[in-house]
Amino acid sequence: MSDVLLVAGVAPQPGILATAVQRLRETGARVHLVGAVDPDELAEDLRLDGLCALPVDIAKDTPTRVAARQVPGERVWSRIRREPWAREQARTADVLVALDAHAIYTVWRFAQRNRAADARYGIQAAVQALTERKDRPTAGPLQRLANGIPSTTAVKQSVNRLINAAPRAAVNAVTARPIMRSKAGTQLWLTAVKAPKVPDSLRTKVAHQVAKGMAWADRPDGEALILTATASKLRKPTARARMLGEAASRELKAGMPPRDLAGAVNALLKVADQRHRADENGAAADLLNRAMTLAFDRVLHIDQLTSPLAEDPEGFIAPFRRSLAATTVASPRGRRQPAAPPPTDRPLRLLIATSANDNFLKLIRSYYDAHPRVEVRFVDLAANAALKSVTWASKPMLEHRLSADSTPYGEKAEERLRPYLDWADTVFVDWCVAPAALFTMVDPGTTRVIVRLHSYEALSRWPYMVDFSRIDDLVFVANHIRDLTTTLVPYLKGPDAPRMHVLDNAMDLRGFQIDKPADARFQLGMVGISQVAKDPRWAIEVLRLLRERDDRYRMLLVGGDMNPDVSVASREYLEAFNGDVRELEASGAVRRLGATDDVPKMLSDIGVIISSSVREGCHCGLMEGAASGAVPVVRDWPFFAGRPNSARTLYPEGWVIGSPEEAVERILRTTGTEESWRAAGREASTYALREWDWSVVQHHFDRLLLDDPRS
Amino acid sequence: MTQSLDVSTSSANGRPAAGRGRRPHLIYLAIGFPPAAKSCAYRMRETANQFRRIGWDVTVVTIAAASWERDSGLDYSLLEQVDPEIKVVELPLAREDLETDVRKFSEERALRPAKWLTSLRKREKRIFPEPVFGSWRGTLERAVLDVHRQHPADLLLASCVPYVNLAAAWKLWETHGVPYAVDFRDGWSVDVVNGGQAFTPDSEAGVWERRILDHCQSLWVVNDPIADHYRERYPHVADRVHVVRNGYDKDSVPMIRPRDPDPEAGLAFGYLGTVNYTTHQLRVVLDAWREARKQEPLLRNARFEIRGHIGAGANREANGLTELIREAAADGVSFGGPVRKAEVAETYGAWDALVLILIGGRYVTSGKVYEYMATGLPIVSVHEVDHDASRVLDGHPLWTGACGLDELRLVDSFRAAARMVVEATDEQRAGVRHHADPFTRETLMQQAVEQLAAHALAAPRDLPVNGAVVHPSDEPSTMDETERAGGVRA
Repeated sequence: MSDVLLVAGVAPQPGILATAVQRLRETGARVHLVGAVDPDELAEDLRLDGLCALPVDIAKDTPTRVAARQVPGERVWSRIRREPWAREQARTADVLVALDAHAIYTVWRFAQRNRAADARYGIQAAVQALTERKDRPTAGPLQRLANGIPSTTAVKQSVNRLINAAPRAAVNAVTARPIMRSKAGTQLWLTAVKAPKVPDSLRTKVAHQVAKGMAWADRPDGEALILTATASKLRKPTARARMLGEAASRELKAGMPPRDLAGAVNALLKVADQRHRADENGAAADLLNRAMTLAFDRVLHIDQLTSPLAEDPEGFIAPFRRSLAATTVASPRGRRQPAAPPPTDRPLRLLIATSANDNFLKLIRSYYDAHPRVEVRFVDLAANAALKSVTWASKPMLEHRLSADSTPYGEKAEERLRPYLDWADTVFVDWCVAPAALFTMVDPGTTRVIVRLHSYEALSRWPYMVDFSRIDDLVFVANHIRDLTTTLVPYLKGPDAPRMHVLDNAMDLRGFQIDKPADARFQLGMVGISQVAKDPRWAIEVLRLLRERDDRYRMLLVGGDMNPDVSVASREYLEAFNGDVRELEASGAVRRLGATDDVPKMLSDIGVIISSSVREGCHCGLMEGAASGAVPVVRDWPFFAGRPNSARTLYPEGWVIGSPEEAVERILRTTGTEESWRAAGREASTYALREWDWSVVQHHFDRLLLDDPRS
Repeated sequence: MTQSLDVSTSSANGRPAAGRGRRPHLIYLAIGFPPAAKSCAYRMRETANQFRRIGWDVTVVTIAAASWERDSGLDYSLLEQVDPEIKVVELPLAREDLETDVRKFSEERALRPAKWLTSLRKREKRIFPEPVFGSWRGTLERAVLDVHRQHPADLLLASCVPYVNLAAAWKLWETHGVPYAVDFRDGWSVDVVNGGQAFTPDSEAGVWERRILDHCQSLWVVNDPIADHYRERYPHVADRVHVVRNGYDKDSVPMIRPRDPDPEAGLAFGYLGTVNYTTHQLRVVLDAWREARKQEPLLRNARFEIRGHIGAGANREANGLTELIREAAADGVSFGGPVRKAEVAETYGAWDALVLILIGGRYVTSGKVYEYMATGLPIVSVHEVDHDASRVLDGHPLWTGACGLDELRLVDSFRAAARMVVEATDEQRAGVRHHADPFTRETLMQQAVEQLAAHALAAPRDLPVNGAVVHPSDEPSTMDETERAGGVRA
């Protein structure tokens, strides 16, 4: 009996589909269907042996920017390939059938891997293929095996032929999934792509085909291996660098730290420098952009418990400091005129700028909107199409910097920003990312420029693309973030550095003061568990140790789970975390409450607030918990522990502990009696409100914005 | 140069004189020749057979049989009546756009099929101004030259479509002065479906058509309106334009008395032919059929069977038309797939009345109207009133008349046909058949072929051009150099 896999890129008409399935079944075939299908619309008499129904708009749906650039056939393939069922059916099907034009590419791709299958477009063609198969001698087990797994000899012979001729079909023949998953197959290909006397273009072509095979076999590490090996044999430095970059990029895309990140970054920077010297700044910008994208990928710094940048900031950043192109980009341009002092005869014109994220601006905006001495305008660069197009344009930005600030892009940015700069006395840019780079690309005239850096930006590429010489005031939310940033950007330690301030985040902590019930004493809590950096497993360890001493302690986890797809580290972490809490959840000792808009209400049931993160800027959730009267227990954030500034300098003595065991002791000590617990909570709340409430912090902002900085 | 011919050849009827020298040779460019299951196959078969009948050697140039599998399919029963002496040269050509084996697709085609198709059409048109077949030009040209080299030809007859055949005819004429004729069937510069001209005289296709007609021996078309179009457009070739109707094959119509109608068991209405009309047209037919069944007691249990080819390539038998037919299953409507030529008579014999669904208007005749007429069965017409089929059927006593796509009148037509089924006398049926007698394909084609053969053999070296007589090597074309450069590219 034959197996047919029908692929639908658009929802087939029910009648046509029913007739098609019937005709195929009449030949004795089992019929399976994957793709755009509305199960409610299927004919009642439709008899399928398997169905994987996907949304009917898979050919049109553009959930990502990548999808928006794709043609419909590619979108259908991108969607269907994610279905393990579909991949399995495609692997074993005898006939693969595209029901419509948008499904052809998926069938084409499936057919590259299942070489024994017939691949047809249209039902009549499929019926014909089935009929012809019946007339062919049946493939025995050996033949079937050969169809799926060529012999090593065959592979070797093909490799030799390939490397000289490289017809795609032949490459596909020897990149079948079982081969790519085997050590022998990988070794074979590693040898093949390194064969001597092969032109770069051919070697590159074969490498890409083999890498595709590895991707199909779910082996991103193999992809990187092949590409890296190929790169080592490429004659042209640019091609070599790009391929090394591609190898690292494939690993990062799969959520893994690249095996040779430094090699890729150094190679890209080297050729970027060469291009810059040759005044080929478009190419130089592209290469530098690639190097930066790789070096500062979030898989390395955000979605892990550690970061090479935090562990060895100077070492990590050294290649960029040595790079001519990178240092050219970072070199200060300065401003032609100093910033004018705040006006005394009229309200200060304050432009607040961000790109999409205004989470930490709401209080500031509403406060200054009502302030008699300030006239506020707010611009969300992501909400304005003209500004958005110039904001996150990292490559044109780099090219502009490399081209002595003379590119059409720079003129466009100038043209679009100038009206804002002309109006404003002061620009307050929140987040030291692309908007900060954009505002410092143009000379601000006499407008004062203030940029606030929260935390993650220090682990991003942006501090190397911002011109700090055009920033008058740089605001941090904590000292340890300032320390890290100034280590990474030496200019900030120099004589021309902007004024630096540490200002707490604007938080209305009074709203968190809610009476807690007595049993909240044994209720530990965490707010925010959606990132690996929050390290909730550490908190669970604290709970486990605590319950060994007193099983009345429980834990509430507020916030959505982390996304397992962002990195391998995230996926592995989430799996381990789920393992940790399985039994505790079953017994009710741990409850995950999911995301909520009403954090104060959640905090009313929490008696002990825990910050278990490996790094934080100021950890608002912890501060809010403290304000609510929960006893704060703060891990000495490992990223900053032992440095001059860390969690220990941000929070009062006693809040911060070095280990889960210390945390247990602090909790037992402070929650030993209801009285002691309430006293500790009150003390924490008082401190939080006194230090961090907006009623206090607003004065710091007033001084920053309204006082003459020269005085 | 034209090959020398046996001067003893009689020019009276195109037959060579018995026993003297070699026989004249026809190269017949007939893409669609049996076993292709295309409607033109019957005309081509008859044309070739008639040339054989009058003693010509015939070499048919067509495309490989396998290529039709992705197009309209194959019917090997059509070969049964092909003269065994006819030599068939099959060229390895196929419509690339109808390829259904995805393994043969490039990645670009798989990824962007529409863009690929647009690009293919452009490429085809760069070679010859015909979007679907242009790329066949080189192969066809080489083929006729090869055939002529092996067996010198006295005449080339190009049956269009595809029009790229004309390039091959021209090549042989230009190179060796072999005279040619064109069986244009539905014409080229006339838009037979919508009326009017399909392209202007100064377009690339227009230049080609003009050049070909300037020098052709004879131009065949299927009806008077198309002939009139050509006579008006090219007055200087008016006397070479001939109407050669399609006619019908006698063996396709049941010679037995039609079955006894049994309304209780259910009258059987049938359609046989390519289902090439729009879903709108079919929807109107099916709606009218549904309503007629409600209104007419004779139709209460009636069936309506559709037979023939639907769609090509990936859409074969899977498009909106099949969906409509399927949805009408409750009304006794069914689709039975193609009918082999050998089973045509049997198929008609199982029906009580016929439904003639045709596209186009006055320029379209279709072949099936003759066949329908010859069955002696009542006919329900679903086509424009001003349609050439109306002229053919005019006076037919068992014809309901044409009413366009007026649904209410179509309901009446179905009801009228039902009554004709039960009321028609044997005399009426015989009268209808008699009316169809002059339209047998054999009769029509015999006259046309004899005339053409005689003309071709009359003075093969002296060809009339705009009324004058010129030699091909002296003046191969009336086109000036600019037009030639633009119109003919190797």
